[in-house]
Amino acid sequence: MQVFLQTLVGGLSLGAVYALVALGFALVYRTMGLVNFAHADVLMIGAYVASTFTMSEHLPFAVAVVAAMVITGLIGLVIERMLRPLEGKDFDLMLIGTIGFGIVLEALATLIWGATGRAVPSPVDTPPLHLLGASIPTYDLVVVGVAIVAMIALTLFLERTRRGIAMQAVAMDYDAASAAGINVGRSNAIAFSIGAGLAALAGALVGPLLYVSPSMGGSIGIDGFAAAILGGFGSIPGAVIGGVVIGLLSSFSAGHFHGYSDLVTFLVFAVLVMIRPTGLFGERTVSRA
Amino acid sequence: MSLLNHRLARPGAYTVLLVIAWFVPYSVGSYEMHILDTALVYAVLAVGQGLVMGIAGQINLAQVAFLGVGAYTTAILTTHNHLGFWAAAVLAVLASALIGLIVGLPALRVQSHYLGIVTLGLSLAFLNWVTNASIAGSGSGIPGIPVPPLGSVDLSSDYLYYYLELVVFTLGLAFGLFVVRTRLGRRLRAMRDDSLAAGSLGASIPVLRMTSFLLAGVYGGVAGVLYAGLIRFVAPETFSTSNMFLLLAMVVIGGRQSLWGCVVGALVLSIVQNELTDLSTYSQLGYGSVVVLMVVFLPTGLAGVPSQLLRLRRHSTGGTSLTLGQFQPYDAAATTSAGEGVLLDLDGVTMRFKGLTALDQVSLTVHEGEIRGIVGPNGSGKTTLFNVISGLYHASGGTVRFGGTRIVGMRPNRLAHLGMARTFQNLRLFRNLTVREHLLTALDRTPTRWAWRYVLWPFGVQHGEKFLRAEAEQLLDRFGLAPFADAIPYSLPYGIQRRVELARAMSAHPRLLLLDEPAAGLNGAEKAQLAEIVGSIRDSGTTVVIIEHDMSLVMSLCGRVTVLAAGQVIADGLPTEVAANPQVIEAYLGRAAQNTPTVEDEPAALGSEEHA
Amino acid sequence: MSTTLSQPSSRVSAALQVEDLCVRYGGVQAVRSVSFTVEPGEAVGIIGANGAGKTSTLRALMGLVPRTASTLSFGESDLRRTPARNMVRHGIGYVPEGRHVFSGLSVEKNLMLGAYSKGWGRSQKLELDGIYEQFPVLGEMRQRPAGALSGGQQQMLAIGRALMSKPDLILLDEPSMGLSPKLVDDTLAILLNLCGAGLSLLLVEQNAELAFGATSRCLVVESGEVVTEGSTKELRADPQVRRSYLGI
Repeated sequence: MQVFLQTLVGGLSLGAVYALVALGFALVYRTMGLVNFAHADVLMIGAYVASTFTMSEHLPFAVAVVAAMVITGLIGLVIERMLRPLEGKDFDLMLIGTIGFGIVLEALATLIWGATGRAVPSPVDTPPLHLLGASIPTYDLVVVGVAIVAMIALTLFLERTRRGIAMQAVAMDYDAASAAGINVGRSNAIAFSIGAGLAALAGALVGPLLYVSPSMGGSIGIDGFAAAILGGFGSIPGAVIGGVVIGLLSSFSAGHFHGYSDLVTFLVFAVLVMIRPTGLFGERTVSRA
Repeated sequence: MSLLNHRLARPGAYTVLLVIAWFVPYSVGSYEMHILDTALVYAVLAVGQGLVMGIAGQINLAQVAFLGVGAYTTAILTTHNHLGFWAAAVLAVLASALIGLIVGLPALRVQSHYLGIVTLGLSLAFLNWVTNASIAGSGSGIPGIPVPPLGSVDLSSDYLYYYLELVVFTLGLAFGLFVVRTRLGRRLRAMRDDSLAAGSLGASIPVLRMTSFLLAGVYGGVAGVLYAGLIRFVAPETFSTSNMFLLLAMVVIGGRQSLWGCVVGALVLSIVQNELTDLSTYSQLGYGSVVVLMVVFLPTGLAGVPSQLLRLRRHSTGGTSLTLGQFQPYDAAATTSAGEGVLLDLDGVTMRFKGLTALDQVSLTVHEGEIRGIVGPNGSGKTTLFNVISGLYHASGGTVRFGGTRIVGMRPNRLAHLGMARTFQNLRLFRNLTVREHLLTALDRTPTRWAWRYVLWPFGVQHGEKFLRAEAEQLLDRFGLAPFADAIPYSLPYGIQRRVELARAMSAHPRLLLLDEPAAGLNGAEKAQLAEIVGSIRDSGTTVVIIEHDMSLVMSLCGRVTVLAAGQVIADGLPTEVAANPQVIEAYLGRAAQNTPTVEDEPAALGSEEHA
Repeated sequence: MSTTLSQPSSRVSAALQVEDLCVRYGGVQAVRSVSFTVEPGEAVGIIGANGAGKTSTLRALMGLVPRTASTLSFGESDLRRTPARNMVRHGIGYVPEGRHVFSGLSVEKNLMLGAYSKGWGRSQKLELDGIYEQFPVLGEMRQRPAGALSGGQQQMLAIGRALMSKPDLILLDEPSMGLSPKLVDDTLAILLNLCGAGLSLLLVEQNAELAFGATSRCLVVESGEVVTEGSTKELRADPQVRRSYLGI
């Protein structure tokens, strides 16, 4: 019971991170029809920037997180601007372009922070909570809390503000949105930078849970993408559910399969895509083949 | 330029390249030799990646994992099971071919980005296994792979190993180029450009996708064996995602749609990367940036530079004249079977999409030798009807019979083999195939699975190619397309593009030809030619069903006309009868003709009428 | 239930002037040197077969495809370099072919997006009420996603969305597409109503009768060129037009 509860909380906090990654994927996918392969590397940059600000500059964690989000938001703008000429023309080329950006970001991170990586101390030093005999790290709860707040904020932005609604409109119909006076390019750029900011938030939050290194993005990226697919790329709740499911899956498979947990997660993911390419919860058509 | 087109230029250039490659070891030091050996491994790997991604358009991010499967299988079988190197090598290639097929399975369901991320996930799963499994050295790798024995040749020398690699690489590249330039390659490229159109020409898309992954797996396996024999040590880092992205960069920079481009990219980038081992992060930064710039400014890679220069040159010299040749009518069929048998029979066909009924109980009978017109306002379901008949949509209800066979649920490629062909309203031509290649692709009626002949009897493939080419020349002449045989259709005027699509559909002498607005966008003279061509096609024994808006064309061409409105057949009969039918006038030509509503009496009804 | 529209904005109504409009896609010249004028308050139709370049003409006017023109102006404004997103600020509304409503958003959000360029203030809310009054069915469905509406309702929504920006000129691309004959008649009524309220109208139609019913003057295009042009009365009597477009 005790182990179960601890794994559950660990899975939930990981799931919250995956949900944030999935939201970033979904936001960019829905507005531009593009899976951003550099998303995971943006997350890695976010983790590094946030941990650098807290560890070397001794800034408060919250400030460091915001700074990381702003910086990666700018990176997102650059990526979108560079790839804009390909928008709506050749998805495969855009995909390769984002992989190119991923390579560049990884190289930059290695040049700036070295190839070895770093362990990031938890920004919360309150002792763990004891619940039913299990000891639950306070930081895990902070992660879940921050993720919830971020998702509520994003929902309000997309559903209640003029800019947010316009962004959804762009995703649904490019030409009709232009004709209504919406600056489609700017709207996509904002979507891209919000996506990047979400990745940075996920990176900053996950830093103290895992180990920060230039290649940390790979598996988090795919797990996050798996969460987005599971959620059906449709709605914010879909991404949240997808994130939590994948978080719990990897948390429990780590307990059962030890070193092979990645193998199991990726195989499950591949089979899942085969069975339901449109995700478990969404019914939007996602295959643009 | 004329020299390049010369018959002997190509073999000549190949010989020169081979001679240079043969003498390279005489002029390099041992370190350079080793780098070159490694580069050749990547070149073989890149040919595989070029085939699956560049030629077949499948985003495969597991190619380096195929290399890993080949290398690890060789290592495990030789060190753990003490098998001989060559026996292990054969099994290793089989293993990676099998893994290639498994990794390719998701391609049957998803494409593009999804496929990319799934294959990347599967390659990470492989990496996860080799870093943990004790049989694979638990992450520290497998040392002590034996030197491949080869008579008295000592392959532990990098110089002599180079020649082994050169032979394998040359064979691999030659086979790859053979595939690309013959029927399998044309089908793969057609699928890449437009899988829907390729399918309706008779190619089985699932088989093609799996074939491309099989090829990728084989090339990966061969490269893996070469790698194991060269380095004689395998460790997980070699097969990491960053190396996958390096391979991707090689292929993109070189030019993914050209195998030569892939090879050049692989050799150059591999050598640069190894020369700069101390500065590898900078070189990573460099090639990452180059990839980004390439996709935006030079998407065809280095291999695309010559043709772009050529195009610029042609632009400045004005280009060739763009008039269609004369159509040469078909010989009339010996017996005109008009009105005899029923060729196409639809009974109560209904097609629903999420709450919208696009076709509602459509019944329709087309006799052999007929030209049937389908008319109706835009959005009335005409194209949906064609999509149901040609197998793109699976009807929600009702039956469709073609030549007496029930065909609901059959894939377009099956129907193509049964003798059905179609054109598309918005021209679905293959973006990167020449006019001649369009016809060659369409003329190829062999089942897709015959691709095994490439391995067992390549001479037969080469022989069949001659017949295809002769037929294509005839077809080019018949449709007046000979002057544009080597042009890319999308660069040609619209009327010619329409003609190409028609010729493509007629390549296989179909029993039934479905034409979806063939006159759209044509001028008066072109329409007259079209009428003549369609008439001749019918006289040659092909039944034609034609969706058309130009009423004068429909009236003059069609024996019978069926009118659709809002998904229902509202009239069916001789053109003159249909044109006089009051219901048709109301639906298609507009009730407004008789009684124009005024501003005052209508709007009140607006709000409530659609409620129920 | 009011049947009259809110009056067009108080700006002096302007004329749309187009001269030598051309559109090229790759090797295809979709529109060749098309010229015409839409006077203030006038309704002009463009008819022709599918693929003749009607939609391309409209999309080019809107700036949705690359275009060249020696004159493209609305009133005093030169629109030759104006991107699509700024057309609405010059008083030009656009109803795309196949309606293209934002299917996942509610009817109300769709309508409000029509007024995106004006900001969302009190007067836009008033405008919204005006639209609901004019198309009561949209008011009843205001919270439903636009994708759940029937074809005819979506057509009303698309027109309503264009009206939300209080345009002086509306470009309509084939409003009859996919509608049953009865709904085509209803659409005609809506269009006549718009004209009655003093709006200028440029209507692209493949259904010639609808175009003749709603406009006073039409252009006939073929292969990207204007082949005939005249009052609806003249065109109705033209034997060539009757044969090709009315099937008589």
